[in-house]
Amino acid sequence: MAGGTPHGEPSVGSDTPRQKGKATPETLKTGCIAWVEKDGQPRRAEILSIKETKSGKHYYCNFDNFNKRLDEWVPVARIDFTQDVEWPNPEKDKPKDSKTKKVPSNQPKKSQVSKKAQKRPGKREQSVNSEATTPHPWADFVESQGQRKSSSVGPEAESQAGVTFEASATPGAGDDLLADEKEDEGKKDEHGFSREEEIEKLRTSGSMTQNPAEISRIRNISKVQFGKNDLFPWYFSPYPEIFALEDVIYICEFCLSYYGDEFAFTRHRKKCTLQHPPGNEIYRDDYVSFFEIDGRRQRTWCRNLCLLSKMFLDHKTLYYDVDPFLFYVMTMRTDKGCHIVGYFSKEKESADAYNVACILTLPQYQRKGYGRLLIQFSYELSKIEGKLGSPEKPLSDLGLLSYRQYWSENILDLLLGYNERDEKVTIEAISSALAMTTQDVEHTLQAMKMQVYHKSDHKIVIPERLIEQREKQKLKRKRVLDPLKIQWKPPVFTASSRTWGW
Amino acid sequence: MSSRKVRVKKLTVKTTLPVLREDQIDATEYESLLTESQIATGVDQTEENEYHLQSILKEAGTSNDQEIPVPPPQESDISYDGLYPAAFHKPSSYIRFSQTVEECISCQYDMTADDNEFLKSYNSNPPAAGTLNEDDFERIMEVFEDTATEQTPFASVDNTVVGYDMMVPGLNQLGSASILLHAKQIYEYWKSKRQEEGNKPLHPTIKFETHQETDDTDPYVCFRRREVRQTRKTRSRDTKIAETLKRFRRELEDGRQLVLLAYEREMMKRDLLQMDRAIFEERARLKQIKTKLGIKGDDEDLVNQKSQKRKPVEAAGAQRPTTQVRVPVRPDGRSHEQDLVLLSDQLAEKENELRNEIETKVQNHRRWNQNHIDLTRDPLSPVKALGMELKFRPAKTQYLMTPPASTSSESMDVDDVPEPMQLDKLELPVFQFRGADIDETPQTNQPAFRRRIGRLQRLWIDRRGLSTPSRADAYEYSDRWKYDSDDEDDEPPVYEVDPFDTRALKFRATIPLSPYIFRARPTAPPEAVNGVANGNRVLPPPPQPQQQPQPPHPPAAQQAQAAS
Repeated sequence: MAGGTPHGEPSVGSDTPRQKGKATPETLKTGCIAWVEKDGQPRRAEILSIKETKSGKHYYCNFDNFNKRLDEWVPVARIDFTQDVEWPNPEKDKPKDSKTKKVPSNQPKKSQVSKKAQKRPGKREQSVNSEATTPHPWADFVESQGQRKSSSVGPEAESQAGVTFEASATPGAGDDLLADEKEDEGKKDEHGFSREEEIEKLRTSGSMTQNPAEISRIRNISKVQFGKNDLFPWYFSPYPEIFALEDVIYICEFCLSYYGDEFAFTRHRKKCTLQHPPGNEIYRDDYVSFFEIDGRRQRTWCRNLCLLSKMFLDHKTLYYDVDPFLFYVMTMRTDKGCHIVGYFSKEKESADAYNVACILTLPQYQRKGYGRLLIQFSYELSKIEGKLGSPEKPLSDLGLLSYRQYWSENILDLLLGYNERDEKVTIEAISSALAMTTQDVEHTLQAMKMQVYHKSDHKIVIPERLIEQREKQKLKRKRVLDPLKIQWKPPVFTASSRTWGW
Repeated sequence: MSSRKVRVKKLTVKTTLPVLREDQIDATEYESLLTESQIATGVDQTEENEYHLQSILKEAGTSNDQEIPVPPPQESDISYDGLYPAAFHKPSSYIRFSQTVEECISCQYDMTADDNEFLKSYNSNPPAAGTLNEDDFERIMEVFEDTATEQTPFASVDNTVVGYDMMVPGLNQLGSASILLHAKQIYEYWKSKRQEEGNKPLHPTIKFETHQETDDTDPYVCFRRREVRQTRKTRSRDTKIAETLKRFRRELEDGRQLVLLAYEREMMKRDLLQMDRAIFEERARLKQIKTKLGIKGDDEDLVNQKSQKRKPVEAAGAQRPTTQVRVPVRPDGRSHEQDLVLLSDQLAEKENELRNEIETKVQNHRRWNQNHIDLTRDPLSPVKALGMELKFRPAKTQYLMTPPASTSSESMDVDDVPEPMQLDKLELPVFQFRGADIDETPQTNQPAFRRRIGRLQRLWIDRRGLSTPSRADAYEYSDRWKYDSDDEDDEPPVYEVDPFDTRALKFRATIPLSPYIFRARPTAPPEAVNGVANGNRVLPPPPQPQQQPQPPHPPAAQQAQAAS
């Protein structure tokens, strides 16, 4: 099979394969990797949790190379028991992970950002087996992987190798396995090794971005009633534990308070007088408004917002309080009030010159161009501050795509102007014109394959198809913000409040 | 691609890049230019290769129809208008708002379905006080909850239940008598409800840190406080700044104290002057009266009183300079000068006093020296030289009986009495030891002889211009002090150095003056000698060599001190 070769890294082969064998619904346990039908196709999936319901056993599955937001509870019928199941082999993985405490089973997981090499083996081995030995039903995926690999031979080959492993390594699986164990075994210290790093990272960077080790939990909220919509959370969010038992939780659209009990929610609605985010409006056009909210002043509201957004942001941490952040909330006006559409948070003072910490468009407003407005706004603020900005990493998949698009469109427009005037450009000039960091500019240029080395000179060549595409997009007439309508001065915080105030 | 062996120029952010369109470049060439380089996406590595993301990224920036699938939201079947009935009117100006969520909600307690059932049943057989409406029920419950949180923050752990009595003050604040009638019964309901929930707050709450070890691993614990010592990267800088500020503060405080004290001192002085003046005037009046009335005698009163009064001041003043006589021997002259400036008035007043004192000291010294027989091995004069001179030159010549020249005597004087006070400079040598006046006259190369009478009527012949003995002398003398544990120790003895070498002279000019050098190599011009003498003032002079040629000096000083 095509996908097999790229995964056949020598280091992978050194690991003994997992035990395989047939399983029954009864013997299938958490940590197993089985073939589960997803969207009409069989797909490798790791069983993260099992629950008994009236309609029989349900299994919480994380699908190979699918984002965790697509994890789901599946009934027995969707699991292919004719295929071999890979059993977890705890005794093998345990010694490898020196830092793992108490966790008995397959534990390689995601703290790997830094420690990949150490922890990868368990996973690597899983994936290799699967990809190399089992028939791959969806060829295009494998193909894409293959292509990617071949193209990856270059200066970065080594780092890429690591990435590749990741790719083939059922990303969420290991972690979620843990989470599962945690549930089963009564909350043991399930993250052992990376926790210290994570806490350290949080303490030092003040970042809201979550350590990968924590992302690996099973969704605890099944459904959220919010405004006019029912939302289906993507990730775990630390709402009160008891909410995990509720079929649906209710969140007030304006104050973002959360209720497990519908009656309480209706009672709350009778009393809640808020009709817009509790801060100052700093931008208004006939489409949207932006509010600036200080996490220190509006602690309850901002905490509520974070809890809400955590359901849709994997790499967000609520480890620390909201005080050091400002929240810029985009709203849409109706006759009921200013409805929150999305927001981004921003450190009051970012050591790494980030202009965005977390950014989210609520699911019911996604794919409508709001993300672009949020991104634009973040850069407009940076322009007013006279700084170059960049979003805090890691980005989510959706975040990356949104940013890439924003970046490429803006850079493309800028470059077409240069091309028409027949002027030369520097990366620095692009960077300062768009308040983007030079790294982001370079990355975008590379991603769009515009940076070429031709006749012993670096050049920017704009591919024809990008121009065509841009023309098409312009016909669609997307909304943009009008920077002149921003009424905002960069808030100033005293050194003491920055240093000691939170 | 493989043909590209050319060294690629470095691309910097400042490199100017021509911007071309694809059609402005040769198509065939263009194809080969496109490099497949992997770009850091900024996505977490564990997710970077997720299927949906990669299939989109493959398009390299081209927006396409592919989308990352997400669980889709749905229209809710609630009655939105029922839940959100209030209409919103857009203000014409940008909204400014700072109320918190709590401030926007009147009552924090929200009835649950259970509460509603209870309330219905409670109202179904109406108590004496009449029915209780939902709002009042909530207000009562809010009081219970708030009081409980306040009084028993660890209720869920230690399971203490706040008694009804504790609730009463809170209930009274509701300001409605009719509510109070219901409160007791609601309390019972609240209590049972709390017990059911494990004595936790009735509203589900998010988990905050409990400062236990389990905190760190509990995914539900969120919104931790940041430690007060929020280090960041500026921690060390902060402490440094804090230290600096503390120091500034201290220094400023010192300065302020100084000013205050100076002020006090000046005020004292003024008072003193006024007193003096008053006394003087009183005396003048007294005298006038005396003359008027013709009373004789008793003039003592006027004067005596004055001197009596002055005496302690003077004594203090006199003592200070005497201490200063010693002090400058050790520390630098600067502080002394400052002292002079500060005390200049008093010092000027007491100049005569001081002079007298020194005079007495000198007299004492002389008296003490009168019958002095120098039994030390190396008394004031070089015995050896004397012996030799006696042996070889029975001195009969009567030439140069004059006392030492003033220049050298001055330097001599300075050497002997290191106090650099004005009054002393003006004076002629105070201590005139006969034995010490060895070679005050500046020496020239021309041989010269001098006869003088030493202590105990010994006759001395001084000679100069003969360089032969000096080296031997130097050798012996410096050697003699070799093991003397003195300040000089660290200066290497001058053994092999040509004493007349310019460098050696220069070097010696910088070191504390030793009388041996001073005496044995008098080739240095008087200026140099003076310079050395000056240096002597600044640097701590070696006390030992100073005493050696003049053994009587220290006891004399002691005597003088005792006398004063």
